Amino acid sequence: MNAYRKSGRVARYENGVFIHVQETGEAFERDGVFQAQPAVDEPAQTRVSVPHLSLEAYVAQTLLSVQPGTMERFIASHGIATHETNGVTWTEESRRVHISLVKRPLRALIDLASFDISTVVNIASALARAGDERDAPRRVRLAPNVSAALLPFLIGELAMEQTGGGFDGLGQPIETRAVTAHPPPNWYRPGYAVRPVRAWMNIRALPFGRIDPNAPLAVALLAPIEGTSMKVLCAGGDDVFPATLDAAHIAAVSRDEPVWYPFAAGSFGVEMML
Amino acid sequence: MTTFAIASRDELWLRGALTESRLMHGRALQRGERIEASDARDDRLLRACDEAMAAARETIAALRDARVRAVVRATRENDAEAIETTMTLSIGGVSVVTTPPDAMHDFDLLRSAIAIQPEAAGDSRPIVWRSGSAAVLLHEAIGHANEHGAPAVAWPGWLSVDAPLVPRRQTFRDVPLPRMAHLIARQSDAPFALPEERIEVLLLAGGAYDPVTDVVTIDVAVSTAGPFTIRRPRAEIAASLAGAFGEPIRYPGVICSREGQELYVASHAPVMITT
Repeated sequence: MNAYRKSGRVARYENGVFIHVQETGEAFERDGVFQAQPAVDEPAQTRVSVPHLSLEAYVAQTLLSVQPGTMERFIASHGIATHETNGVTWTEESRRVHISLVKRPLRALIDLASFDISTVVNIASALARAGDERDAPRRVRLAPNVSAALLPFLIGELAMEQTGGGFDGLGQPIETRAVTAHPPPNWYRPGYAVRPVRAWMNIRALPFGRIDPNAPLAVALLAPIEGTSMKVLCAGGDDVFPATLDAAHIAAVSRDEPVWYPFAAGSFGVEMML
Repeated sequence: MTTFAIASRDELWLRGALTESRLMHGRALQRGERIEASDARDDRLLRACDEAMAAARETIAALRDARVRAVVRATRENDAEAIETTMTLSIGGVSVVTTPPDAMHDFDLLRSAIAIQPEAAGDSRPIVWRSGSAAVLLHEAIGHANEHGAPAVAWPGWLSVDAPLVPRRQTFRDVPLPRMAHLIARQSDAPFALPEERIEVLLLAGGAYDPVTDVVTIDVAVSTAGPFTIRRPRAEIAASLAGAFGEPIRYPGVICSREGQELYVASHAPVMITT
C-alpha cells in the first residue's frame, strides 16, 4: 500500500475552550506493520487554513439559544484537510457538532455535520417538556438525525445504497452501489493514525412506503443505539416522552432530500417510520 | 499562559510480532480559554520517548503469549517533565494494564486469573474485591463523581481515598481536564469478616460513572462467578461497603477514558467487601 498523507487545520470548541490544531501526518504499511507518524518536513506553504469566525459565531449563538445549565457537553469543530495517497490528492472541509443536553435523568444526544442551530433548539425545547417514559407507540417516525444514527445497524437488513462521490481512505473513488451484507468495496480511514477498514460509506436508505404524518416523531436519541434497540425522545401532539423502540422493522422511508450525518463512515438521514 | 509538549510512541505486538507502530508529537500553548497547537517536534522529549520504548521492548520480548500494547508518553507541562510507560497485556479478551517493572508479575496474574473456572453465575452473594480491584469501584464512584462535582454521599468512616484532581490531557490536540492523578484507597480499623458464601472478583473489564443518573457501572471480567455487570446508584455503592482488610494493593491498571481522552491512573485499594 502506498503512503497516505493528511495535512490539515481544525478549529474546535470544547466545553468553554477554543483550540486550533495544525498537523500533518502520514501512514503506511511496511512488512505487515502499520506505521503512522507526523510528517514534519511538509513545506509550510502546502498547509491549508481554516476560517474560525464561523465556529465562534455558531458557538455563541448556540449557547444563547439553549437554557443555561442544560448543556452537559458542547463540542463543535470546523476543519480543512488535504489528503494524498495512491497518486490522488483531494481536500475536504468538515463541520462537526456534538451536544448532549440534560434534564435529569434524561440525556439527549445530538450529532450534526453542519452548524445547524434549529435542530438543537427544537430538541432542547422538547427535552424541557419531556414527561415520564411510555410504551413505544405502534407507529413512530424517526427524525433524520435519529434515522441516520440507526442506518449503520441496519446494513444487510434494509434496502440502502452507498452514495457515490469523493474518495475513500485508499484514494479510490466512492461509487454508488447497493449496500449488501458482503464486504464493502471501499476503505474508511477516520484519521491518519488509524488503520483503514472496509466500510460502506455515505449510506442512504432507499425510499418506500408512506409516512404517517400524524405518528409521533422521535426527535433525538437518549442513549447510544444498541443493536436495533433505541431509547428516544418522542414528540406527539402536545406530549413529549421517552420511549424505547425496537427498530428492526422499518415500515417506510421518506422521499425527502436526505441530510448527511457523521455516523460510522457517513450516513444520510431522512424521515423513516417504524 | 501554560505550555505543553509531548512525544509518544504506541506499539501493538501480537505474539511477539510488531503489527502497529505510531509516533505522535506536538506542542500546545494555552492563554486563557484559547489553545494553539501543532505537531511540532521536541527532540529532547522524542529521545526520552525512544529510549523508554527501547527498554519496554525488552520486556515485551518475554510476553510472546499475549497481545501487548505499549505506550510511552514523554511530556513537559510548563517546566515539569515526565515519562510514563504503560503496557496493556491481553489474553483471551481479558486485559491488565501494567508498567515494565511489574509486567512479568502481572502477566502471571493474568494467566492464573483466566484459568479460574467459575463456580456459578453472578448472584446476590457478598463480593470480595481482591487484587486491588476495589480501586476501580472507587475510581468510578468517588474519583469520577468528584470530577463532575457530584453531591456527597455517606462513605464508611474507616475509608479514606486519595484521588487528587489535576489538569491532564492525552495529546497536544486535547483540552486539559481535571482528572485523577492516581487513586489510593486505605482502610483504618475497618471491620472484616470473610463471608462463607461469596464471589471473589479479580479483574475488571471496565467501569463507568454517569453524572446525570449518578449510577456506577462495573464490568467484572474475572471472578469466581464468571463475568458479570454491577449497575447501582452511587449512594447504594457507598452503603454496600461492608469491610476491608490490609494495606492498599496495586491494581494492575486503569486506563481511564473521559471525553475520548485515555489516561493511565495508578490505582490501589485494600481487599474490600461489598454486600
